[in-house]
Amino acid sequence: MTAMAGAAVLLLAALLIGRATAADVEARLDRDSVPAGEGANLTLRISGGRAGRPEIPEVANLIVQPNGQSQQMQIINGTTTVSVIYQYAVGSHTPGDYQIPAINVTVDGQKLVTQPLKLKVLAAGAGQPPAGVPPNAGGPQPVGDGEGDAGGKRFGFLTISPVAKDRKYVYVGEIAPVCIQAWIPADARAQLRSGIQPEGKAFTLHHVSERPQQTYQIKDGKRYLVVTWFGGISATKAGNYPASLSVDATVAVRDTSTPKPRRRMGGPFNDPFFDSFFDDMSVPMIQKNVTLKSDDQEIEVRPLPTAARPNGFTGAVGDFTIDAWEMPAAWQTGEPQQIDARLSGSGNFALMNTPDLTPADAWKVYPSKGEFTAGDNASFSGSKRFQFSAMPRKGGAQDVALTFSFFNPNAGAYETITSPVKKIHVTGPDIADDKPAALPPATEPAKKMEDGKLVAQHQTMSPQTSLVPLVSRPAFIPLLAAGGALCLLGLVLARVRVRLRDPQRSARVACDRATRLALLAANRCAATSDVAGFFAAARLAIQQQLGALWNQPAQAITLAEILTRIPDDSPVARFFREADRQAYSHPNTGNIPPQWRTLLANALACLTNIAR
Amino acid sequence: MNRILLPGLCGLLLGMPPVSAAASPGFEQANRQFQAGDCAAAAAAYEKILAADGARAAVFYNLGNSYQRLGQYGHAILAYERARLLTPRDPDLLANLALARKAAAAFEENGNHPRLDAAVNYLSRNEWSWLVAGAALFLGGLAVLGGVLGMPRSGMRQTALTAAGMAALAIMAGATALYHRRDEASRGVVLTENAAVRLSPFDKAETLGSPGLGRTVHIRSHNGGFHYIEVPGTHLHGWLPIKDVAAIMPEMSRNERE
Repeated sequence: MTAMAGAAVLLLAALLIGRATAADVEARLDRDSVPAGEGANLTLRISGGRAGRPEIPEVANLIVQPNGQSQQMQIINGTTTVSVIYQYAVGSHTPGDYQIPAINVTVDGQKLVTQPLKLKVLAAGAGQPPAGVPPNAGGPQPVGDGEGDAGGKRFGFLTISPVAKDRKYVYVGEIAPVCIQAWIPADARAQLRSGIQPEGKAFTLHHVSERPQQTYQIKDGKRYLVVTWFGGISATKAGNYPASLSVDATVAVRDTSTPKPRRRMGGPFNDPFFDSFFDDMSVPMIQKNVTLKSDDQEIEVRPLPTAARPNGFTGAVGDFTIDAWEMPAAWQTGEPQQIDARLSGSGNFALMNTPDLTPADAWKVYPSKGEFTAGDNASFSGSKRFQFSAMPRKGGAQDVALTFSFFNPNAGAYETITSPVKKIHVTGPDIADDKPAALPPATEPAKKMEDGKLVAQHQTMSPQTSLVPLVSRPAFIPLLAAGGALCLLGLVLARVRVRLRDPQRSARVACDRATRLALLAANRCAATSDVAGFFAAARLAIQQQLGALWNQPAQAITLAEILTRIPDDSPVARFFREADRQAYSHPNTGNIPPQWRTLLANALACLTNIAR
Repeated sequence: MNRILLPGLCGLLLGMPPVSAAASPGFEQANRQFQAGDCAAAAAAYEKILAADGARAAVFYNLGNSYQRLGQYGHAILAYERARLLTPRDPDLLANLALARKAAAAFEENGNHPRLDAAVNYLSRNEWSWLVAGAALFLGGLAVLGGVLGMPRSGMRQTALTAAGMAALAIMAGATALYHRRDEASRGVVLTENAAVRLSPFDKAETLGSPGLGRTVHIRSHNGGFHYIEVPGTHLHGWLPIKDVAAIMPEMSRNERE
């Protein structure tokens, strides 16, 4: 309750203060032309006092539809201004030039009028210039997928614009930051099928931002989803070249060629102008794979000047500074130590190499590639850290600094920057220069030899070898195959060894062998009509099998043991019963009846089932 | 077991083709010519040694120095690059190669992953491939030993497993490096300053541009007197006369193929 009262007091105070400010009224159209059947947005802002809802004067064939109301409070330098904003959609089905007369508004009893506004309603489907921009104004004009302007824009288009608009040329090696925008109709569904690709051969696209921004914008009276990337283009050779980009996309747009349904009754608004919006919702979509292209925009690529090129220049193009650098204070001649340096700025970091250590003749530097850390989404700015080794050649106290030369495309000149000086002490004797002693001048003068830092010849012959690496020779695959085959062989050998040394398997093999021998003995007894021998040998064979299955000694397998584990009518039990009967009865000779052989066969088959 | 495994592993990891170093009077003579300033004669002498004795890193390096003194930066870069195939970690070679590139304004773009590039380029492709092959054979030998003798007892088992793990790691690292550098076999160097890349392999075909002296390109195919080349980092590709570009890794001789 207290909070509400406070808010009311605050609002009242704001309104009272607002009374002190001058009342004002302003009407504005968001574009000056609109196709027939579509609407422009009219904004009427009333500030500095309270007013009733204004009335828009009627204009023949011009439709004005209220589209909402909002309130805005601004506090600038302690002065509070409260504004009420009324929104209207304004349009017509009849092409022509319309004028919205001055709108009368009474603010706190004070009568105010707006400026008259002009709106051009174009024939439906006619091309039109962007709002507030004259036709063929500077800047890139989008082109579509090759179906002509109307067809191309129907599915969207691509634009490319340099971020730095004050320069119309780039230098070789320079990465010029660009803003790339894909314009997709807001009512379309689109899916990009490729990354952004340069169309021409002269330019390379770098560091395109991975997460594009998405906004909705109105262009030429049409609402678009605008996908914006930032990146950089660079050229490798001088000249005038067209720069164009493209991206493959699948775009589905409403098929406006389909006839709209006729209404017997009025629509929800009983107004053909606004009801057409709902009609559009029922229009079918058509889908097409298109290549969205930007317009060919000729860019002048200038070569890096050869005049005044510093000796230390290694190709870096941009604007850089030496942020920080560290090196040990104590050194010894001939012993390399590590130096850490970080350079930052904006430009082509890929061409940035290790900075020079000065005085150059006192050091031997082993360059490193450096590690880049991006400073923005497009990796145009950032820093690069170099950790490189250097070896002092001369002893004594030295003032050492880093120098780095680059070409600044904005200044159009080479620049050499120097780090703060560090005082170090180098112990040990000076090391003789390893250049060839008393090297006479070359018979043919070198064309571009600027510094003569060439490290000396090798004096000892190195061993002979082949330039072709093993991987490119036919022997490589057989070597790998041999390694693989050996691995497989090892696995097979290991498996065989494990099988051979498995005690259960050995016992099983021995049991099978003993069973086989027992059955052979039984057959021999049957052949000699030795009934007792037949039953004894056959029983031993079954005992061995059952002993192995039940993990017991063969001699422990008796009829009583069998009956505790398997049914007494099983062939095994019946065979054991018959064997006991033969063993404990009078010796019996004569031929072995076929039913005993059958019983033995059934018992052996039953053993298989028990094992399963 | 350790006495067998560790030296074996080291031997296989460092396994290289048999090489021989021998003093050459021609080499010393060429060096004297270079020191006397007769770089053209020195370069010719080094070329002769290479043709007669085969590839030697020191000869390529000195040849590169001679060409650099003569101002023939394309040939100098080619010689240095060939030396780099054999001795990729020679700091003098890298320094002189950088000087030649700078003099020729043939600046190479650095990769996006400098640490990975440094690790992958630490060994030459030949060294990586020998490492992979050696490690594969070592792992196979270890597997056969294990298959025949069985897994050794505690202490030895640890050593054997460590050796096997190192061999597997070496195979993976080497395979990664070789895959990362798979395009290097096709690299070439542009030898002339105004070499024109043409749309088709004919002298009068449309000119698409010039890659620039000393620029490293990829040679994809041959047709008549032309190589089809691609310039890395750009969209420039087309046909370049054979005289204007040379492959860093020459085609294998019949002996090497066999």
